[in-house]
Amino acid sequence: MHADSVNKTSSLQERLGRNWIAIFIVLLVVLFSVSARAFFSVDTAQLIFFNGTEVFLLAIAELFVIITGGIDLSVGFVMGFSTVVSSKLIVMFAGMGLSPLASILAGSIVMMIIGLLPGLVNGWLVAYLRVPAFIATFSMLGVTHGISELMTQGIPTKNLPSLAGIIGNGSFLYIAPNGALSFFARPQVARGQTVIAILPNMVVFAFAFILLFAFILGKMKFGRHLYAIGGNIDAAIRSGINVKRDLIKAYVISSFFATLAGLSYVMKYITGKPDAGANMLLEAIAAVVIGGASMAGGSGTVGRTILGALVIAILETGLRIIGMQTFMTYILVGAILILAVIIDQVFPNRNR
Amino acid sequence: MKKRYSAVLAILLILLTVVPAFGQTKKQLTFLFMPGVQDPFYTTMEKGVRAKAKELGVNIIVAEYPKAWGPEYQVPILQAYAQRGGFDGLLIAPTSVDALKAPLKAIYDKGIEIITVDTFLGDGDYSKPNTDYNFPLSYIGSDNELGGKMIAEHLAKLVGEKGKVFCEATNPDVSSVAGRVKGFTEGVAEFPNMKLVGVEWCLDVQQKAQEQTLAALQRDKDIVGIFGTNVFSAQGANQAVVNAGLVGAIKIASWDATITNIDNLKKGVVDLVLAQKPAEMGSLGVEWLYKYLTQKVQVPKKVIPGFEFFTKDNVNDPKMQQYIYQ
Repeated sequence: MHADSVNKTSSLQERLGRNWIAIFIVLLVVLFSVSARAFFSVDTAQLIFFNGTEVFLLAIAELFVIITGGIDLSVGFVMGFSTVVSSKLIVMFAGMGLSPLASILAGSIVMMIIGLLPGLVNGWLVAYLRVPAFIATFSMLGVTHGISELMTQGIPTKNLPSLAGIIGNGSFLYIAPNGALSFFARPQVARGQTVIAILPNMVVFAFAFILLFAFILGKMKFGRHLYAIGGNIDAAIRSGINVKRDLIKAYVISSFFATLAGLSYVMKYITGKPDAGANMLLEAIAAVVIGGASMAGGSGTVGRTILGALVIAILETGLRIIGMQTFMTYILVGAILILAVIIDQVFPNRNR
Repeated sequence: MKKRYSAVLAILLILLTVVPAFGQTKKQLTFLFMPGVQDPFYTTMEKGVRAKAKELGVNIIVAEYPKAWGPEYQVPILQAYAQRGGFDGLLIAPTSVDALKAPLKAIYDKGIEIITVDTFLGDGDYSKPNTDYNFPLSYIGSDNELGGKMIAEHLAKLVGEKGKVFCEATNPDVSSVAGRVKGFTEGVAEFPNMKLVGVEWCLDVQQKAQEQTLAALQRDKDIVGIFGTNVFSAQGANQAVVNAGLVGAIKIASWDATITNIDNLKKGVVDLVLAQKPAEMGSLGVEWLYKYLTQKVQVPKKVIPGFEFFTKDNVNDPKMQQYIYQ
């Protein structure tokens, strides 16, 4: 508090520097809203979060590992692996006579446990065998991709219960034109009447986990250990942190979030395929960097990573709504990445 | 500082809810065309859509072409355009029989009429009651089984209606491909002196098609005809024929009049090419949507445009050029 008053002259500049992403997002929203009337609505806001769900989850997966100074190249194909295994499990459970809901729940829960395995192996390789994270996770990318391909033989999973799609594309709350509320099921109204849908199920699902792990990273001892490991691993060891165990945990969390992204995909698209997350890895890493984390480790927060992912999600959906080709997104994300790194050098420690 | 941001956020949220979207006054119909993937088939279809729309005075919005085949590419694009709104009818080639049901139903519920072109929802039969996919007005696309059968008939003519034939297919999961193979099998069976000695699936990998065809040629050295169900399977099959030194002795048929396939025909890589009519599908789609929205005409639940066949003899015919996808 006192330090603030001492630096008053530079405080405005610093504030701008530290929070440029939030400002940038507001500017984007204003710009898109001016360009296209339809952009400025609750539905668009929800659509952006809905379309971005998988990238949000993968960005958090990446964040936990990047904080420790590592990287996880396997998240995209662990996600694909998750779509394949969970969808096959759900079909199998349904075939055994379980109800659609029970099959979906059982398949998802079993997958969440299986999904810890790639991370366990990654973490063990990095922490105990000192395999560079880049190599260890790159190998895991190949292994999970290969297993998924073997399981599908080129045929995406089919015959999932249609309830999956109802959950994946549904919302938590619906408001009918007459003001009646209903949960999880869209009320039957005359065609052409507007039903307001609030909180897509998959967004609620993703953010339940994201908030939980934001708490773990920001408020718990384990979170502080991760920053310590990324900041200076030798100092972390000397101060008595069980570095190996915590590293393994970080990779397991990463793989867990990639698994969640896979589950979200299965619910939305009612299928599973090996390359479901193939093109999302770089978006996830970009989100973390735009969010201000250093690739050298030791910094980054869940909140800012979500803002970073939100920039990408707003660009993708926003450009489409204003009728521009989303190939522009690639260029803009590239430019913003560089901008993020430069701003971080001008205003160090904007995180933590 | 945090308070200030929450204040900004609060103002933004209030604005989001307060500012209403004004409905436009409609004078002219507008249709959205949502292609399946960036490829010549759909760009040809777009030409048909635009031509018919111009004739009828309909506005056309063409959605961004998905860069790969799959609902995860197509659905976000579709939803963004739906959010933007401003169209009364939708022509779409769904990239999944299941995954597009929910997003399309949501658009239908807004009061927008839908016709699926080239591909369909569920099993493509929208006349069945009590399904979760009977809401589109119509499916306009090829009858793949019939096409496969016609390929068999044309190939039979090329080989003198006798001998062994082989089929190099792509993917048993894709309904259109499965239909082509089924039709081909039935078509061959109608010629007593012809025999289908095998069907292989190369999963769209040309190298695999080549290996599988080569293996088939070793088993049955007297194969006289091969049907490759798409560009890659036909090209792989041809390479195997070249490597086995059997050029000229084996006739190869392929599906879709892409520039590649037509060039291959001119070069002698393939001998027969079936052309679907994507432009006609697009044109019919616009026409039926227009008729339904302006005159409430009953739309047939299924509309099947025919095929054209290219051979060495007619490939340079000026009348045939309109059927090449470009």
